[in-house]
Amino acid sequence: MSRFNLYIDEQHPSPWQQTWREFKRSHVAMAGIIMLGFFTVVALFGPLIAPYDPLLQNTDTTLIPPSWDPSGTVRYVLGTDALGRDLFSRLIHASQVTFGTSVMLVMVAMLVGVAIGVMAGMSYGVRASIINHLLDALMVIPTLLLAIIIVAIVGTGLVNSMWAITLALIPHFVHHTRNTVRELMKKEFILATKLDGASKPHIFIYSLLPNMIEMLVVQGTIALSIAILDITALGFLNLGAQGSTIELGAMLAESLNVVYIAPWNIALPGLTIFLMVFSVNVVGDGLRAALNRRLRH
Amino acid sequence: MIKILLRYTNLLVLTLLVVVIFSFALAYLFPGEPYTNLTGVIDEQAAAAHQNLSVTSAFWQYLGNIFAGDWGLSLMTGQSLADEIAITLPATLELSLYALAFALLVGLPIGFWAGLKPHKGIDYSVLGASAVMHSFPVFWLAMLLVLIFSLQFGWLPMSGRLNLLMDVPNVSGFIFVDIFLADNIDRSQAAWDAVKHLALPTFCVSIITMATIIRAVRRSTLEVMHKPFIIAAQSRGLSNAQIFFKHGFRNALLPILPILAMQVTTIITNVMIVESIFSWPGIGNWLLQAIYQQDYPAIRAGMLAVAGAVIVVTILIELFNRIIDPSREKFEDVTF
Repeated sequence: MSRFNLYIDEQHPSPWQQTWREFKRSHVAMAGIIMLGFFTVVALFGPLIAPYDPLLQNTDTTLIPPSWDPSGTVRYVLGTDALGRDLFSRLIHASQVTFGTSVMLVMVAMLVGVAIGVMAGMSYGVRASIINHLLDALMVIPTLLLAIIIVAIVGTGLVNSMWAITLALIPHFVHHTRNTVRELMKKEFILATKLDGASKPHIFIYSLLPNMIEMLVVQGTIALSIAILDITALGFLNLGAQGSTIELGAMLAESLNVVYIAPWNIALPGLTIFLMVFSVNVVGDGLRAALNRRLRH
Repeated sequence: MIKILLRYTNLLVLTLLVVVIFSFALAYLFPGEPYTNLTGVIDEQAAAAHQNLSVTSAFWQYLGNIFAGDWGLSLMTGQSLADEIAITLPATLELSLYALAFALLVGLPIGFWAGLKPHKGIDYSVLGASAVMHSFPVFWLAMLLVLIFSLQFGWLPMSGRLNLLMDVPNVSGFIFVDIFLADNIDRSQAAWDAVKHLALPTFCVSIITMATIIRAVRRSTLEVMHKPFIIAAQSRGLSNAQIFFKHGFRNALLPILPILAMQVTTIITNVMIVESIFSWPGIGNWLLQAIYQQDYPAIRAGMLAVAGAVIVVTILIELFNRIIDPSREKFEDVTF
């Protein structure tokens, strides 16, 4: 940093820069973010990388083991499944569906959850109490049960299972937003803004939101890992993605009957889910640790 | 104390009422006749009569039936739903209970250990292991364990609760109680068989909860061990063991209870998934069969039973927590 500076002013890094500096110090967290970046690239450009059509069936090449096995071939890097479809292409397409939908539904849940949470946190009395009780009742219904109910009402399908998981994640965001808003509303800088005559939307946008963003990012990573696990679980139980929609959980369920003769059909999709969730968790942990360290300094 | 009890009873009744209203509304949301969805009986005249009833009086009737133990009939089997749930729900609760107990038994000591030696090799390896455990998709883990322990080595059975040759009548629904009550069988052999059947499902479910418990205990131990009263105890010359067991241990345990309350739904969801893999005759497996066969009365009743059980357990944990820890903010005490 040998930039010429006329004024001998110390340059203060912004909060985000400080967080990034703390985040970079942890190698595990950096590895996690690289892995997460890899999955993002796959989700965005996956179909361009995939060597075969994921739905192309070839009866001459069923159950070929991965290429590192003596009887595998390089043409099918990760082997083929019971219908002769290339596992590598299928994994890429499935990761795209699983990761993409999870990110999308976490964003929707976050938007709705923050809106309700801020309303609950900023209001008092009967209205706040009703919102709180309804949401607490919703929060104790297990995700899978909620999904079963929604599937019973509107039928199976990837989009319907997405609705179920979004609905299950919303109370999670409401809960944390409400608690954060309650705490912030007691602070003096909010009182000062109020005395200046700021309206509620103004308080929210200029005073509450900047102080909430970090909590939201951390909660978002937690919600993302829950979302990936739930969407694959529903796919595995045949309640989510159907038919030609390739999804990691549904892939696992399809390969159940060849589990003994072709274990790689179980191991590889599961490993992909595991790595996806693991990278999200590691990034979330690193971020939380970085924020804690920053606040302590 | 009475005030707290009243408050929690009120909360319990209100939340259960919300769930009952929700289950009543489901009968109208599901495809088909509301009357059939509520009772499981296909009868056109009764359905027409039911349609003429106002919604409120239909609801009062439904509420009366629920309390009388008449939860309707299953569309598939024609059996009473209350009876079917009385068989399946204990199996689920049993599995959840053992999974929670195992998670606590292993998670608490490891969490304390890591929390007492922060930022050292032990701590980092425990944290890393818990991050790995936390990321396992439960169904994949279950399949891997079946592949290794049941198919490859043949050490453990891969489905059910008990060997079919064991003739244990179903009295309470809890397998060990039933084994104890049954006569004419070799009890120790039956119990050993039940343990073998329990091992894999319990392990699968407890892994994720264990990871959460380890992290929570580690963090709370870390926080407590930096409190002023610990430093005061150190300055009085107490040994490390004395400080931990007399001053640290109980205070570090306090934040764990609310986390357990939050974990109840996670455990139930995981148990329901694991049940379907191990063919465990619990309510999760039963509900999944109901959805595959579009048995709407069963889904309504199962949802009522599972949500009710989760609410009762959660509120009991919260109440217990409130009683042993009066320092919690008044504001927060009715939220779980």
